[in-house]
Amino acid sequence: MHQFIFTGRQKSVLLGFMVLGLLCMGLTWAVDDPFHTRFWTNLLHNTVFFTGIAFIALFVYSAWMTAYAGWHTVVKRIFEGFSLYMVVGLVLMLIIAGGTWFHYHHLYHWAAEGIADPTSDHYDRILAGKSSFLNKSWYTFGSVGFLAVWTFFAFRIRSMSIAEDNAGTADYAHHQKLKRIVAIFLPIAAFTSAAAIWQWVMSIDAHWYSTMFAWYATASWFIAMMSLTILTVIFLKGKGYLEEVTGEHLHDLGKWLFAISIFWTYLWFSQFMLIWYANVGEETVYFQIRRDDYPVLFYGNLIINFVLPFLILMRNSTKRKYGTLVFMSVLLLFGHWVDFFLMIKPGALHTALEAMEHMGTAVGDAAAAHDHGHALAGDHGGHGAHHAIPPGFKMPGLLEIGTFLGFLASFLYFSLNQFTKASLISKNDPYLAESLHHHT
Amino acid sequence: MADKHSEVLFGLYDDEVDLLDAVKQANADHLEIMDVLTPFPVHGLDPLLGLEESRLHIAGFIYGALGTMTAFGFMTWVFTRDWPIIFGGKPYWSVPAFIPITFELTVLFCAIGITVTFYTICGLAPGKTPDILDDRITDDKFCLAFKTNGQSSEQISKLKNFFSRTGASEVHNKVI
Amino acid sequence: MSAPVSKLREPLIMGSKTYHQITEDLVGPTEKAPNSAWIIAFILAVTFLSFGLFCIAWTIYVGIGSWDLNRTIGWGWDITNFVWWVGIGHAGTLISAILLLFRQKWRTGVNRAAEAMTIFAVMCAGLFPLIHMGRLWLAIFIFPYPNTRGPLWVNFNSPLLWDVFAISTYFTVSVLFWYTGLVPDFATVRDRAKGIRKNIYNALSFGWTGKAKHWQRWESLSLLLAGIATPLVLSVHTIVSFDFATSIIPGWHTTIFPPYFVAGAIFSGFAMVLTLMLIARKILGLEDYITVNHIESMNKVILLTGNIVGVAYLTELFISWYSQYTYEQFAFFNRATGVYWWSYFGMMTCNVLSPQIFWVKKYRRSVFVTFIMSIFINIGMWFERFVIIATTLARDYLPSSWSYYKPTWVEIGIYLGTFGLFFTCFLLFTRVAPVVAVAEVKSILKTSGDQYIGPDAKHGHEKAGTAAH
Repeated sequence: MHQFIFTGRQKSVLLGFMVLGLLCMGLTWAVDDPFHTRFWTNLLHNTVFFTGIAFIALFVYSAWMTAYAGWHTVVKRIFEGFSLYMVVGLVLMLIIAGGTWFHYHHLYHWAAEGIADPTSDHYDRILAGKSSFLNKSWYTFGSVGFLAVWTFFAFRIRSMSIAEDNAGTADYAHHQKLKRIVAIFLPIAAFTSAAAIWQWVMSIDAHWYSTMFAWYATASWFIAMMSLTILTVIFLKGKGYLEEVTGEHLHDLGKWLFAISIFWTYLWFSQFMLIWYANVGEETVYFQIRRDDYPVLFYGNLIINFVLPFLILMRNSTKRKYGTLVFMSVLLLFGHWVDFFLMIKPGALHTALEAMEHMGTAVGDAAAAHDHGHALAGDHGGHGAHHAIPPGFKMPGLLEIGTFLGFLASFLYFSLNQFTKASLISKNDPYLAESLHHHT
Repeated sequence: MADKHSEVLFGLYDDEVDLLDAVKQANADHLEIMDVLTPFPVHGLDPLLGLEESRLHIAGFIYGALGTMTAFGFMTWVFTRDWPIIFGGKPYWSVPAFIPITFELTVLFCAIGITVTFYTICGLAPGKTPDILDDRITDDKFCLAFKTNGQSSEQISKLKNFFSRTGASEVHNKVI
Repeated sequence: MSAPVSKLREPLIMGSKTYHQITEDLVGPTEKAPNSAWIIAFILAVTFLSFGLFCIAWTIYVGIGSWDLNRTIGWGWDITNFVWWVGIGHAGTLISAILLLFRQKWRTGVNRAAEAMTIFAVMCAGLFPLIHMGRLWLAIFIFPYPNTRGPLWVNFNSPLLWDVFAISTYFTVSVLFWYTGLVPDFATVRDRAKGIRKNIYNALSFGWTGKAKHWQRWESLSLLLAGIATPLVLSVHTIVSFDFATSIIPGWHTTIFPPYFVAGAIFSGFAMVLTLMLIARKILGLEDYITVNHIESMNKVILLTGNIVGVAYLTELFISWYSQYTYEQFAFFNRATGVYWWSYFGMMTCNVLSPQIFWVKKYRRSVFVTFIMSIFINIGMWFERFVIIATTLARDYLPSSWSYYKPTWVEIGIYLGTFGLFFTCFLLFTRVAPVVAVAEVKSILKTSGDQYIGPDAKHGHEKAGTAAH
């Protein structure tokens, strides 16, 4: 079976989860602090995570095609389906970027009014220096502009791939054209994704910087994307599709999952070790907060995303067992979602608490905000001081999990819907025969 | 096989495809193959010959783990027990700083271990002079060998017949 | 053995070779007397080597004062050359290990020579940290042994010591990997040789006969060594980058250094492989085995890694501004516009701008352009290390300590000497061992020979596809 049929039952299950996600987000809004920080961090977290998965799917698709990989041809439609989710990401990022203009949220310290104005109470010398990059216009342009370019490529590549199905010729003219487009996409993606990550994630800890950060976050997306690919392949196989995908292909996908988990660990360690070793206060603060205030997530991140995949996926046989692969993929998808949680939440919380504190002292009648901010911020001036972290920040709470499931359902709904629009196997790909007879 | 004299009857094939077919045929005829020698690794041969998968990777894991423990344990002992020194304000037991050397020794132990194991179990060593059936086996001939010690001339002619049926380009006898 | 091959794949072995012809072509050069080009090159290499040895002896006799180092510029050409050579030494293991794992068949044409190059380059690299100690005879102090200094150990927390472990491990594993690949080929040489050569190659080939079980284990060993060499090759240049990045010197302390050094190493390593192989294929007549398709594949890797390095340069530049840390900002401003602006300019031109020419297929497939580019990149990558080391140290925190460093004849002589060492070893290697892996090339003949695939295939794709089924 090459034509995927999206059954009503599948649709209703996914829609059910999406409703659950919406409910959770609504509930988050209701129980939130006056700035709705928990709601906005959840929105940003999931948007960045799932948009990133869509982006990296297209990036990997392009890289493998350029490298004549060939073997992955039987699963390439899955990458195509994933990549189109960037449209949704575009809309969501538009909302978040709009939020910086209309003060919906206080996710970013640099977005505060008068941050670059020496006469303002909010003036911050460092952030004023950065303000020609960290400003609302750039943020909006970067988020929307880059995503629009990526989305354009995603749609272009997808439509040409489908055209190859319908009108593929013996000289593989479609494939040659596709190869040119993906080659153009690769450097554009490499440069713009770094800038996007700086804006979306790194600038949450607005004073802090690390040159490694963009590559680190990209590696995290990559693993999440591979996990989701493996889960989707196994799901589709369970429904009788993708008979062409054999243990050999899963073995190779499993190898990638293993290899990039090691690579992620390498980047994690390099970034951490260099900052730990040099011991420059401005840099160590990032890890100090996470290690001291979020120890479970900090060490859990390493256990889930390094120790377990290393020990479990090292053996060849485990990369061929559906059960183990599903287990590892679920774990790693969640693990890297947690990784992004840890990148986003502590910094955003800090910014929000400071803003609340500030508002509380500046505007006398905002007593509620004042009390709230004061109580929560505690001794926020001293880094690493122990203060109560509100629910939804220290650990992903039920509302966060619900929101995650809602986003995941929307991602899958969108992708599965794309699968219905074309054959699951691209039948005129020049490497199809190789892929069908793939042996590891 | 170097200990005792072996009488060997072997056929040389010109192509690995012919060799694979011959091995299949030999299995079908229930002939006991002594060995198959080729100029390069021929894929698909192992299952036909009933060769079990190599367990070298398990040995590699053990050697590697040994290296990990040696390196990490040693540095821990030196810097917490034997002669603790503070470097750059770091704790005695500076785990992140131990990781690079631990990693290197893991790889080193593993690499040396599996290489030595490989040569040992294969019986390969510098100075060892092998019994070569034919000089062209390392060039372009694919060799299928049967042991004919104590076999009747009838059985031997059956083997010769087998070689001619499966398209061996040459058939030779050799005592090694 | 052979699965279907896409029609888009270009053949990697030209000239309708038979297995025997492959043996003749690849083993042949070791059996003939060297030609005059080889002899001239060898004399030249040995001359350079001798001059290098003289300069090393001079350094040891006179002391490190014979170099232009001073209080702030503690590292000059020595460590620049060290990093440069180590970087070059990365391509061999990369081609053998990572490309083996990625199943890139074109690696078989160049892996043997690239691995040899790795070993020789690491030897050249290893020289520099030893010489720059000044008192070479105290080099044993870097090893952790219970010693006469009391039970005082080396500093396991020091990146410089990590380097000792990394480089020596890398050297050992590279030798094991290389030699394991050579054993079957030495057996091929042995079985063609007569007299004393037969005895020598008999010893070198360890008694290899090509048994099915041995091949199976040999493949397993190769894959395992490739598997562990892959993180190893990453770790080596990572640790070299730690030498710089663990410090608090602006311009050195940046977290992107590890992956960026690794990408740069691959970049320069491929360039050096191309420089060498373009010469070797001409002199040894290996055009059928190291084809334009191989060259194009390597040029693609160069384009890729060149762009990764470019992203890293720009990231560094941008983040130094973004950090709003004055010293960091100055370090990069100084690199681009300070007294050593020419080396920054050379680095950017050679490493980032010039490889962009490889977007054009015509240039990727041009031997001449490739050769020129490979030299460019070798120079550019040397400049990169010089930029990192000299520029940064010449403009320290204290303006009163600012100075300008330029190498003395001794430093230049040692650098030239390492070229001598490198080429002497490489030239000897081409005489004693097959420069292209014989058994591995044979194993891909059915899927990559031009009589089976490509536009001039006689046997046709379908036949090649079903040959072994």
